[in-house]
Amino acid sequence: MNGTFDTTVENAWCPGCGNFPILNAVKKALARTGKAKHEIVLVSGIGQAAKLPHHVDVNVFNGLHGRALPAALAIRLANPSLTVVVTSGDGDIYGEGGNHFVHNIRRNPDIAVFVHDNQVYGLTKGQPSPTSDPGWTGSLQRSGVIAGPFPPLAAAIALGCGFVARSLAADVEFTADLMVRAIAHKGFALVDILQPCVTFNKKNTYQWYGKMVYKLPPDHDAADRVRAFGLSLEWEERIPIGLLYHREDRPCFEELHPGVGDPPLHARETPADAVRDLLRKRLFTLS
Amino acid sequence: MGIDVNIRVTGGAGQGVHTVGGFLCRLAVAAGHHFHATQDYMSRIRGGRNSYTVRIREIPVLAGRRQADITLSLDPVHLPHVLPSVAEAGIVVCDLPEGGAGDADPRVIAAPLKELAVAAGSPILANIVGAGVVARALGIPPETLDRVLGLEFKGDLLEKNRAAAALGAGWADARIPSGYRLPVAAFHPRMILAGNEALALGAVAGGCKFAVGYPMTPGSGILQGLSADGPPLGLVFEQAEDEIAAMNMAIGASYAGARAMVATSGGGFALMTEALSLAGMLETPVVVALAMRPGPATGMPTRTGQEDLAFALAAGHGEFPRLVLSPGSIEEAYALAHHAMEMSEAYQVPCILLTDQYLADTVADGDPGDFPALAVNRRIVRGSDVPRDAKGRYLRFASTGDGVSPMAVPGEPGITVVVDSDEHAEDGHLTEDHGVRIAMVEKRMRKGGALEMETLPPLLAGPPDGEVLLIGFGSTKGAIAEAREILAGAGTPAVAVHLRQLAPFPVRAVSEILDRYPTALTVENNRTGQLARLIRAETGREVTGTIGRFDGLPFTPEELARDVKERL
Repeated sequence: MNGTFDTTVENAWCPGCGNFPILNAVKKALARTGKAKHEIVLVSGIGQAAKLPHHVDVNVFNGLHGRALPAALAIRLANPSLTVVVTSGDGDIYGEGGNHFVHNIRRNPDIAVFVHDNQVYGLTKGQPSPTSDPGWTGSLQRSGVIAGPFPPLAAAIALGCGFVARSLAADVEFTADLMVRAIAHKGFALVDILQPCVTFNKKNTYQWYGKMVYKLPPDHDAADRVRAFGLSLEWEERIPIGLLYHREDRPCFEELHPGVGDPPLHARETPADAVRDLLRKRLFTLS
Repeated sequence: MGIDVNIRVTGGAGQGVHTVGGFLCRLAVAAGHHFHATQDYMSRIRGGRNSYTVRIREIPVLAGRRQADITLSLDPVHLPHVLPSVAEAGIVVCDLPEGGAGDADPRVIAAPLKELAVAAGSPILANIVGAGVVARALGIPPETLDRVLGLEFKGDLLEKNRAAAALGAGWADARIPSGYRLPVAAFHPRMILAGNEALALGAVAGGCKFAVGYPMTPGSGILQGLSADGPPLGLVFEQAEDEIAAMNMAIGASYAGARAMVATSGGGFALMTEALSLAGMLETPVVVALAMRPGPATGMPTRTGQEDLAFALAAGHGEFPRLVLSPGSIEEAYALAHHAMEMSEAYQVPCILLTDQYLADTVADGDPGDFPALAVNRRIVRGSDVPRDAKGRYLRFASTGDGVSPMAVPGEPGITVVVDSDEHAEDGHLTEDHGVRIAMVEKRMRKGGALEMETLPPLLAGPPDGEVLLIGFGSTKGAIAEAREILAGAGTPAVAVHLRQLAPFPVRAVSEILDRYPTALTVENNRTGQLARLIRAETGREVTGTIGRFDGLPFTPEELARDVKERL
């Protein structure tokens, strides 16, 4: 483990929680980017997953439940020299923040989004999440989940996301590698990380995932959107992990947005002359 | 008192009501006079009954009037709705079909607007023909009319518009009574601004570099102003997917060091309130322009109200200091938007600019001297000015005497900036320690105490022996000021009290004023007397009563003066 990004903040996760290997992967990935801690911002919402940034010694914006993406987008618009990474849970990104997930994929800002997808709300004690399997019995849906699961990868591919990957929390090296590539991707990059919840999800366990997942073969053509969409729907029999879809032909939002760039907004001045010019436009004269 | 002419242009959306109204405003200024214009429009894209009312005087005009002296009705179908607000001695200029509804009313003057427009080149010029009629009624010299048209149109279009206006003016000769003629006056350059534009300009002049919102009437005009005027000064504008995103984006940008603002109306503000509380917790400066309209729910989307005062003061869960300002004119909209940007950053608190549809859509002329380029004082600490603790760490929430912690931004070499919506320690990391909790609550509230020291006092106008106090906030300023003059003229000395700041409340100043006068009435565009309740809560003093108006329309001076008389 790389010690560069360690903090001394007390950890609040259950022993054996899938967040631990994800934290290790995040630290490894950030170390491999070669960025200094002041150049990186970790943004999260609320939940056990969203506490991850406190354990990484970088800039941290731990905002409201579901609202990591709007804050992350604005940080990029204000200062595109910062590396912005969102790391939060499935309820946070796909449930409470679903609208922001949709519209930020449309915008395509240069943000890497790591979703700790354990198919359950852990911190609120075991309610189903948007990705829970139908029939799964949680503490609120006692007769089982009726709604169909939200398909994050299929939705992302359909919306035009240029980097769509799935990983398994237990495989730290594999996850870290996808994270490094997601951060390097110019645009919105999604890594959905299958993560066991050792306390509340007795179905999707480390053992279950071990049996279900398979790594995409090296010759997988990640530029094939239709093939990637098909793979994103695989769940019942086997679950593919790896980079399902990757295209970088869409310019990122910051490049297209007029006014975004150097200098960052915090360094921009408001010269009195420019203000006077602006006011003069509203001055009614007869010439 | 001099001349006081109230002109109303009415018609459906898409008939050029707004174009002619705006043109008449500029014509008034070109003729050396002053104006105050208000808009009344229905919630639709085409059709409906809209009006643009321009009141012209020789002195700066503070408020609108209900009864119109000259009405230019661009659609005769509307006459039955138009006539009740025509002054007894007023006139209505209208292209009346044979046997039309207005025939029986002696105030209606049938004018062949469309026929003359066709003669000038196109039937769509009917509104400009009408403008020519009104210009002649006001005694505007033909050369002034031509000159102002020359500022707005070019080439062939200019010729057609000049022809249309001249035909209208020529037709009006000997057909329109001469009592509305403006005296000759010298021209002076004047600022011409709508309330929303002035507010957006003030924010840009105040260093706003990030603006975001989701369109909602009547706040959209502020967003339009920010997106048009901001970019030349380095502002980045973005339309959010919803108001929740907008407010969280503003806070994200603020965390990254940008002065940031959002603009919305009540329903949108309701969606922003969780993040308003976030701004309180993260101590990120942010400015919210809240343009009120009547509620509850969708209410009357294009009309005015002051129903969200209590909401703005209490919005957001938990306890945190905030600044709430309420401009009462275009000059104050400009100045207070700048002030909001400065104070919000100085004390790291959210600031709400409370405006409403009436002020948002009010257009008036202003003295250029009232729109100065004011200083922008950034408070971000950089480089060697960033304080560090014994371990070399920067503490975003370092405890200080006034509660305001030095604010560094992410990207500063050698440090990290950590913020958390959970209760946090000085380093920004979450904590469940009750002792730290108490310290952080006290630190945040100390900022409120410091903010109180800079409270803007109410503006007072009237004699020390006044019989009655008329207390208002925000957009009622002009109507109250003029109602006071009317009352004084009628032998009732009254004193106007205009509150520009509602939180922190100017407790001592308002208490002292209330103690000096026997009778005090609040004047507010709501049903329940929210300002009266606020005064009671903050000062422990009861006002005598409230004049409330909640029909969706603004107060006018004569109506208000009449209502005050009835209460005494």
